[in-house]
Amino acid sequence: MQILGQLIVSGISVGMIYGVIAFGYQLTFATSKTLNFGQGEALMLGALVGLTTINFLIGAGLGNLAAFLIMLPVVCVFGLLQGAAVEFFGVRQAVKNKSDSGWIMATIALGIIFKNMAENIWGHDALRFPSPLPEAAISFGGVRIQPMEIAIVIGAIALMIAIEIFNRRSIYGKAVIATANDRDAAGLMGIDTRLVIMFSYALSSMSAAFAGVLVAPVTLTGATMGAALGLKAFAVAIIGGLSSGIGVVVGGLILGITENLTGFYISTGYKDVPGLLLLLLVLSLKPAGLFGAKAIKKV
Amino acid sequence: MLKVEKLVAGYGKVQVLHGVSIEVADGQLVTLIGSNGAGKTTTLRALSGMIAPQSGSIKLGAVEIAGLPSHRITRLGVAHSPEGRRVFPTLPVSDNLLLGAFPRLTGARPKGDTAADLEKMFELFPRLRERRTQLAGTLSGGEQQMLAMARALMLNPDLLMLDEPSMGLSPRLVEEVFATIARLKATGITMLLVEQFAAAALEVADFGYVMENGRIAASGPAARLRDDPAVRAAYLGAAH
Repeated sequence: MQILGQLIVSGISVGMIYGVIAFGYQLTFATSKTLNFGQGEALMLGALVGLTTINFLIGAGLGNLAAFLIMLPVVCVFGLLQGAAVEFFGVRQAVKNKSDSGWIMATIALGIIFKNMAENIWGHDALRFPSPLPEAAISFGGVRIQPMEIAIVIGAIALMIAIEIFNRRSIYGKAVIATANDRDAAGLMGIDTRLVIMFSYALSSMSAAFAGVLVAPVTLTGATMGAALGLKAFAVAIIGGLSSGIGVVVGGLILGITENLTGFYISTGYKDVPGLLLLLLVLSLKPAGLFGAKAIKKV
Repeated sequence: MLKVEKLVAGYGKVQVLHGVSIEVADGQLVTLIGSNGAGKTTTLRALSGMIAPQSGSIKLGAVEIAGLPSHRITRLGVAHSPEGRRVFPTLPVSDNLLLGAFPRLTGARPKGDTAADLEKMFELFPRLRERRTQLAGTLSGGEQQMLAMARALMLNPDLLMLDEPSMGLSPRLVEEVFATIARLKATGITMLLVEQFAAAALEVADFGYVMENGRIAASGPAARLRDDPAVRAAYLGAAH
């Protein structure tokens, strides 16, 4: 029972990371019906830029936690710029030409380029990321939880809520929803929808970069850390539905937990199988995702 | 206000407009009538930048707007209530209306009093006040039409373009829509109205253009078009 609890708890924190990345997929899909297949690389770059920043700050005499908190906005700004660049170089032309697949290759290609750049700058080895919180686990009735795992859950939820509030409350956020609803009509409102799409890419990469520095202290950091996370988060986005905010959280948790359970009770070799089976099952039974709803449309 | 000369536009390789020239004077209500597929909607789409004209000139005051993206044209003061209403289904009525004022709320146009204008819209369309918190996608067709018109008005536009505001509405609602248009006209707003209900449109308009196969086939003061035997036979039906 204790082991089960332990597996579930650590599944939850990994699942929340999947959820945040998948949330990023949703942001761009809503406005442009395109996705950044280099989302995992956006996470990896965010984590590595964060690593360099935090090491610099710690070197300058700051404590781990202070350094981490100062690093966060730096990483977020970097993520925004990186996402805007992906949109500008990889997606814009494809969207303009109404190309069905140009953006797929372009975002994959950019992802590979980013990975190569990272390998050249930060090397091939996995690097340790300084933890902002004590690494000693706290015990809850025998279930041991690292403080950073709690921080992941809180940070992930806070980020998604912040973006949701922005979308619902601010006029710019409403412009994003309007663009997602009907791009032509949004243009007629005076909304620069091309800018909105660029912004959604920026926000999407920022979410990934943020997830990167959240997960980095409990894993290791390196040029290859993004690929598997990006792919699994893609599965989560499909399982949860590309249009449902709550869907990606639930989808992330399902995947995170089943991975851990399979890894322990069956074999770590089969760790990835249940999630992918679930993906296939969802695709064949409920293609819009578990929580995906068709937009209300009335003529 | 608006002067369109030899406008050529279409979709991809299909050319729909073959040199359309129309003019809308300040404070006038001009209507564009004609049968299905004549190019009325395409004209409005080219004017508001939803499609890029292939050639021709569109002057808004002294500014050439042909080829500008739609958001820039809107920010210059042209509000377009498009065919099919195109309200934002997942947003509440109030947010749809606020988005109509987007350029005013973001500094691209003089702000004015958006709250007072919102109140004015609710007075003009009381149904919208009742439904203000409801998602636009759940409104009836008539209510969506009112919302689309009110949303366009929230821009405080110099030129209001309405595309088939009567489409798909019951006769009673059509009457209501035209009464609203007459009321708007009384406020002095410049309007370009595209309609299939030619008789009703010519009733409220100052000036009319008749479109046929992507060209202007006839034009004149609305009262004269109404009495023109050829126009009557082709577009007004036997009832008039």
